[in-house]
Amino acid sequence: MKVHVNMDICLLHGQCVIAAPEIFSFDDNGDLHWVEVIDDSQVADAEAASDACPEQAIILG
Amino acid sequence: MTQDSLVADNLPYLDISDPGFSIRSDAVMEAREASWCARTNYGLAVLRYDDVQKLLRHPKLRQGSYRWPALNDVTGEFARWWESMLLSQEGDNHARLRRMANPAFSPKLITTLAPKFTELATMLIDEFAPKGECDFIAEFTEPYATGVICELLGLPFERWRELADIAAEMGLALGVTFKKDLPTIEAATKRLFDYVEELVEARRAAPKDDFIGMLIKANEDKSQLSDQELLDMIVLAIFGGIDTTRNQLGLAMATFIENPEQWALLAEQPELGRAAVEEVMRVRPTVTWVTREAVEDFTYNDTPIEKGTTLHLFSQSATSDPRVFDDASFDITAERKAHFGFGGGAHHCLGHFIARGDMTEALKLLSQRLKNPRFNGEVEWLPDSGNTGAIRMPIAFDPA
Ligand code: HEM
Ligand code: SF4
Repeated sequence: MKVHVNMDICLLHGQCVIAAPEIFSFDDNGDLHWVEVIDDSQVADAEAASDACPEQAIILG
Repeated sequence: MTQDSLVADNLPYLDISDPGFSIRSDAVMEAREASWCARTNYGLAVLRYDDVQKLLRHPKLRQGSYRWPALNDVTGEFARWWESMLLSQEGDNHARLRRMANPAFSPKLITTLAPKFTELATMLIDEFAPKGECDFIAEFTEPYATGVICELLGLPFERWRELADIAAEMGLALGVTFKKDLPTIEAATKRLFDYVEELVEARRAAPKDDFIGMLIKANEDKSQLSDQELLDMIVLAIFGGIDTTRNQLGLAMATFIENPEQWALLAEQPELGRAAVEEVMRVRPTVTWVTREAVEDFTYNDTPIEKGTTLHLFSQSATSDPRVFDDASFDITAERKAHFGFGGGAHHCLGHFIARGDMTEALKLLSQRLKNPRFNGEVEWLPDSGNTGAIRMPIAFDPA
């Protein structure tokens, strides 16, 4: 599965980092990074992050 | 540098606990022009959009109201709950609790509630609309906000009064007379916990994938969500969900009464309902500031901030900041930068999908049914600071 974040609407709340820390992370500058291709074992976490995102900025597909 | 030596820096000063202080006063706007922050009688106030945005996510800050019971020298069951619940937690503990609670607040679950919101709003409007007048708080926002929580908890609407009364008594804890009201607050806290425990027992006996059902599922692994944490979370949803929604909808009505052409526009174009909620929360957020506390010494905007300093992030003043909003007048069709009415960062409101959903449905229906709303007597307001709103709002309108 592919993970994408629409950075035009992401407000860097970091709820995705809380929900799925193996997929999403902040670097020391506070920029958001994520694993772009995940395996089946991580799909549930990615969906939890996508649901939790207050801006609904995470696209899975 | 201590907070005392900041005095020497000639920062503007605001007395935020004066009941006459208004977050929308000229004094606040002048302070915002003079500096990015002001001193207050209790910590610093952050005034501009970019700074509120950044500080809401600042790694050197933690949520700041966790010490409220200790500051008031209060202990007991309310204090225990307050200090251990989600909002007062940070780091790994906060993340764990938030992960456990997320499924119960997911947008998927909330979408299924939308028809219920419409039903509830229609029922309440039908009651008072023929009169052409009402107390908008007593007859709409309060039963509606509480009714939504009843719906979430799987309680019949008829129980709303009971729940509203308990929440109001517990809410006394946020007031200046916290210590004096302690016996009432403790009794209400105990009643609410008993109530919530019964709800959980009932759901355990009749499992279902609803709000409480999802939290019970999270509680299957007690190391992730203990029995006490399960109850604490449900109590927080009740405590945090009722007054906020009640106040925000009252502020919405007041804003639209002052902008009648926008109300007419919403009635014509109900698809603007969601945008209307966002714009109301930008110009009149009920939570006018959120509080943070420095966990270590750091420097921000060349200002040294000492460990333990309290910062009030003034959402209200940030989202009318002329640096970001050229024309800040109320316009539900304008494209706007995000408001801070639900806070932001790790503690961003967990109930926002519910609140956005129920307020959108309410405003859509109200604009269709209540034409030309106007004040019809004295509106009673909470102080225009902290968590604000109307407690009585007589209005008249032309029923449609
Ligand atoms: C218009 C209605 C609402 C407004 C304006 C509002 C506002 C807020 C704000 C500003 C915060 C952040 C506080 C801070 O950072 O210090 C917050 C947190 C929270 N809200 Fe809401 N809220 C509303 C409705 C609700 C509802 C309906 C619920 C639950 C059913 C809810 C549950 C929570 C919870 C659990 C938190 C704590 C989140 C955390 O610490 O991670 N809220 N809310
Ligand atoms: S939760 Fe959403 S808005 Fe927040 S950082 Fe992640 S993607 Fe961005």
